[in-house]
Amino acid sequence: MQLISLRNVSKVYPNGVAALRGVELEISKGEFTFLVGPSGAGKSTLLRLLFREEVPTSGVVLVNGHDVGRMRRRQIPFLRRQIGVVFQDFRLLPQRTVVENIAFALRVTEVHPREIKRRVSQVLELVGLTDRALAVPPQLSGGEQQRVALARAMVGHPLVLLADEPTGNLDPANANGMMRTLLEINRLGTTVIMATHAAQLVDRARQRVVAMEDGQIRRDALAASYSEEVVR
Amino acid sequence: MRLRTWAFCLTEANQNLLRNPVLAIASITTTAVSLLVLGVFLLLSANVNQITNTIENQVAVRAFFSQSTTSAQEAAALAAVRGSPKVRSAKIVTRAQALSQLKHEFGDQGSVLNSLGSANPLEDSLSVTARTPSDVASVAKQLSRVTGVVRVSYQSQVVSRLFSLIDGIRAVGLGLGILLLLGALLVINNAIRLGIIARRREIAIMRLVGATESLVHWPFILEGLILGLIGSVVAAGASWWGYAALYSSASRSLPFVPLVTPIPFARDIALLLVILGVLLGTVGFRLSVRRLARV
Repeated sequence: MQLISLRNVSKVYPNGVAALRGVELEISKGEFTFLVGPSGAGKSTLLRLLFREEVPTSGVVLVNGHDVGRMRRRQIPFLRRQIGVVFQDFRLLPQRTVVENIAFALRVTEVHPREIKRRVSQVLELVGLTDRALAVPPQLSGGEQQRVALARAMVGHPLVLLADEPTGNLDPANANGMMRTLLEINRLGTTVIMATHAAQLVDRARQRVVAMEDGQIRRDALAASYSEEVVR
Repeated sequence: MRLRTWAFCLTEANQNLLRNPVLAIASITTTAVSLLVLGVFLLLSANVNQITNTIENQVAVRAFFSQSTTSAQEAAALAAVRGSPKVRSAKIVTRAQALSQLKHEFGDQGSVLNSLGSANPLEDSLSVTARTPSDVASVAKQLSRVTGVVRVSYQSQVVSRLFSLIDGIRAVGLGLGILLLLGALLVINNAIRLGIIARRREIAIMRLVGATESLVHWPFILEGLILGLIGSVVAAGASWWGYAALYSSASRSLPFVPLVTPIPFARDIALLLVILGVLLGTVGFRLSVRRLARV
């Protein structure tokens, strides 16, 4: 069974903009998928449908067998506990330390404090921030802040990690580091979907690329690069 | 929810309150003042009520004879009244007895009556005690029909005036109290709203990582509860303590005024105020739920 599947999915926003038009997409467990395409192509909307930040206007969105679009409100939190999300703008709590920011995700899902401690130190090691554990976000560089956000997304052991332009605010060195960590996370077994404009990162990674334009999928290729012309 | 989750919500609620202490103090003060006003009026109307009832329970009726009434007529009237089933006892008070009683009541100032010389302006009267308070009016009516009786007096005028006073106090107290409670509600609601806006980033992240809606709501419910509770405890304490102090000094200097005892009465009012305060906090939150959903 596919971990994620979109069947004839369309999304029209209340202001009349059609962000997605008849999208068909299947992603299996353990895959790494790039979503590429110009701004407004529908990449972010597609990701937002997966964690039920938006509902499709028509079509079916399945995540791990659950029909996300028709899910009851009460069930949404439990869907989100299985999905980690990283944004371009980090979305950290500025007054709280790195550890507190990461632990926050587990505290609100009622994990036992001992388990929280164990998992937080694990995930800090994964993103290489063990020595910055007690800093607060304003004291961190952009690259470090994004690592905290990534750690928070991963600390709940999600089935899938969604990254929406995770390197958009990072310099090339930090962007490369972030890319390496995402590939490492995928190698350890987590499915990753990353929406990006960073052609160089996509070209170097040699993973599945889904190219979107005007709310539709134009190209879906394995071990591919950012733009079609370069490959063939 | 688990205990540590409650602890988490409580910490969050506290942080909200500490983040904006001026607003928290404003909420607590308006709650306390409005509840205190309500409490004071409740205490006041209950006491006036008590005094009225005491007066109403006085069953004496006085029927005055004209100066020309003969003692035979008076004796006949006394016999007739004694025969009535609604009358417990009756006796004749002569003008001489009435004057000496008046002198006695005047006490130190009794000498002013000396200027009357040998004249006595008072009338003979029948002093009647009704069997029950509800019989007073009909006994009075009965007496007014007796030959020679020119005037009947009992406490009805005082009682009805006191009753309208109670109604007035209740209406003013309730109106003022409700108005102030509405004010307190708005202030609490506002405090919670500002808390929601200040924490919108946190709320968004909570939802993103899979916090249930109840976990998102509870810190704000607790915030409202804490504000309402502190305000109402202040009001309840002030009204209970204040009333107990008033009662002890009043019962020393005005022992004949039948005030309501502080326990259980003032205690119950204090309890009522606390319940109202808690309710106020909860409703204050309810009003903000829409705002919370839009974050």
